[in-house]
Amino acid sequence: MAALGARRLLRPGRRWFSETVPGAPSPPASPLYPPVVASVTAKSKAAKSRRLQRFNQRVHAAATVEEKLRLYGKLQRPKYMVYPQTFALNADRWYRSFTKTVLVPGMPPRAVAAKPPVAAAGTTPEAGRAPEPGAEAPGAAEAPGAAHAPETPKTPEPAAGAAPYLDMGELRSLACDALLQESFYQNKKRPFLYRDQDHTPGPFLTQLVSTLAAFLSGRNPLLAASSLDLNPEVNYYWHHGEEVVVHGHRKGRVDPVRFQIDDNPHLQIRVPKQLPEVVPLESDLGDVPVIDHKPSKLPLFKKQFENKVFIGSKVADPCCYGHTQFHLLPDKLKRERFIRERLEDQIEVVYRSNGIASLFAWTAAQAMYQGFWNEADVTRPFVSQAVVTDGKYFAFFCYQLNTLALTAETIKNNPRKNICWGTDSKPLYDVVEDGKVKGFNDEVLFQLVRFLLNRPKEL
Amino acid sequence: LFPGVRQAQWLTKTKLVEGLPPAVQGIMDNPAHGLRELEERAKHAVSHARLWDTAEAAPRREQYCPVLFENLMHICRLMSGKYPSLTKRMLARNCRIAATWERESILLQVRGLSGILMNSMTPIPPVASKEEILATKEHVLETFYPIAPTIDLQEVNVYKELNDTGQCFGDGYPYSHPHTLFFLESANVRTDRFRPEQLRAKMLMFAFGNALAKAKALHGNDPKVLEQPVVVQSVGTDGQLFQFMVFQLNTTDLVSNDGVKNLVWIDSDQSLYEKAQCVPEVKKRVVTKPAGIFGFQPDTFKKFLALYLHGTV
Repeated sequence: MAALGARRLLRPGRRWFSETVPGAPSPPASPLYPPVVASVTAKSKAAKSRRLQRFNQRVHAAATVEEKLRLYGKLQRPKYMVYPQTFALNADRWYRSFTKTVLVPGMPPRAVAAKPPVAAAGTTPEAGRAPEPGAEAPGAAEAPGAAHAPETPKTPEPAAGAAPYLDMGELRSLACDALLQESFYQNKKRPFLYRDQDHTPGPFLTQLVSTLAAFLSGRNPLLAASSLDLNPEVNYYWHHGEEVVVHGHRKGRVDPVRFQIDDNPHLQIRVPKQLPEVVPLESDLGDVPVIDHKPSKLPLFKKQFENKVFIGSKVADPCCYGHTQFHLLPDKLKRERFIRERLEDQIEVVYRSNGIASLFAWTAAQAMYQGFWNEADVTRPFVSQAVVTDGKYFAFFCYQLNTLALTAETIKNNPRKNICWGTDSKPLYDVVEDGKVKGFNDEVLFQLVRFLLNRPKEL
Repeated sequence: LFPGVRQAQWLTKTKLVEGLPPAVQGIMDNPAHGLRELEERAKHAVSHARLWDTAEAAPRREQYCPVLFENLMHICRLMSGKYPSLTKRMLARNCRIAATWERESILLQVRGLSGILMNSMTPIPPVASKEEILATKEHVLETFYPIAPTIDLQEVNVYKELNDTGQCFGDGYPYSHPHTLFFLESANVRTDRFRPEQLRAKMLMFAFGNALAKAKALHGNDPKVLEQPVVVQSVGTDGQLFQFMVFQLNTTDLVSNDGVKNLVWIDSDQSLYEKAQCVPEVKKRVVTKPAGIFGFQPDTFKKFLALYLHGTV
């Protein structure tokens, strides 16, 4: 201090050194003192936010996606298990609020040009056929097992330019054959108790999807490069909202609410290229329901175990984007049970909650495989499709993931919402009797075929 | 079946030919089928089944064997974009087979769950020419004197001589011709799995059973030499080794030891890949073997595909 005072007195008059007096003192080349920030280990809010920032930086700086996923799910705490197939009442409202999803009834509008013209005849019209490869056996539509009686008039549509035909007769016969084989022709033992779904609808769905995918692969090159999984596992872990810890040694602390979905679709198709977006990233098509209660009122229960994020195969797989999932509803959730308990309106809720939860988990896991997470939100929307069925009734869903930022801090300034388009469940057929399928519904089959033919615009 | 294929040969009155028949070889060698591009996809299929399919470190055999089979079948089915008549096939899982025949006054029967069966609407054309069939007359079946050929077979009092794949399928089934049988040895414990020799014998017996049932359904129950031989193929695997077999039933006259014999072509112990490394092997902090599939043999996949395409191409 004395030296400082002395220097002050000396400075005004004398010039000791040949020093040009600068207008302002030159700024130091590097900071003299380290930055003043909150401590890392203290028990304070500032320290907690600093720890959170350091964690976020670590995840951002992770070299590979596997490392990022490992760090993202490193801390294991009790989390709510969200089951896509659930009997909880009005579960789809709750699930929409957990995943910030807007439900739009009906199917997303597709470009009219993409819709292939359909031959309405039951028999193969020789005249109006666009160049179909190979020799389609003309007896295909009259296969003895499939009895779609050709009541529809033979109106061969004129070939619209070079657009190839979609022979509904062929597809119908494939579907009917699969159905008849599983339910009628193959002699199986009686189904095990409460395992009806494994006995007939499960194999039927597998057969149907594999034959249809093979049939349509000539038309959709994305299917030709796809990968079909039987009974895969899809998992996703995320945070949404905040709560206060109720009891235990961490009582009183504010924690994010953790959720985990562990799903087993019956079948899924994964592709190497992403499906195109349906609507732009920032579109707002409705409202997300806000629920004031704790998630445990749904009822939802907590478990603590490994936080898994998995789309069906590991990160190294080239088929890392999802195309379509197929879900089979178990015996516990069959329609007769709901009708018996006078809960008819809950039947559609089952389909919707399954569609929303499974598709959210799948698309979000796909996004995480590409390196996005809730601090690094997605830059392009992720689109996937799903078909939920109980063997006879089919419901179709299309999901667009616009945002992964669902935690309490990131959701504040986030205007984006995820969107789910869904239909009600419709029957594919009425009844199977005597080797004939009665009341086959072409609409449902056509919707299924449109789903399978969905592909990016370049292909 | 301990001595394996030789015993099965005697029981089914069959002559063995090593390697695959020339028709199948022709499909393999034909470049028009674009088999080369499928190699990449086959490698992905193997990697997916062996490495990427599970959230744990490495999938076990019970998981990867069926997954590998499904992946290969998916690739084969996607060929129907090119050959639309391939859609006339249907897979049937867990079907039971039953066939009965007499062999030198011993009544034999094959029964049981025969794995996964693929049926098609059209039968496979006969693989061997008429001369080869007649030439089998001279072939003498190996006997195992003094061991009775029915050693190791279970002796059972049979009350009903069942004879059908019709055990499996009702009438009017459009996909009525058995095309290929698939056997997956997927037990985790090695002793629960069949050894390759036994697996080949099992494949032979079941292929024979299916062919015999079909022949009896088509031509009646009398033993005779068939004008149109029935051909059934068979593929067995344990996830790494593949056994391919094409069986042609020429005669249902199985009581006597001479006359026209049945024919079987066997290609055994084809490995699809050498080793699948899930976690990189590290010795003294240096990675000696990176993770991946080693020693991939595209020929084995080509044979699989050729057997699948056989009959429609």
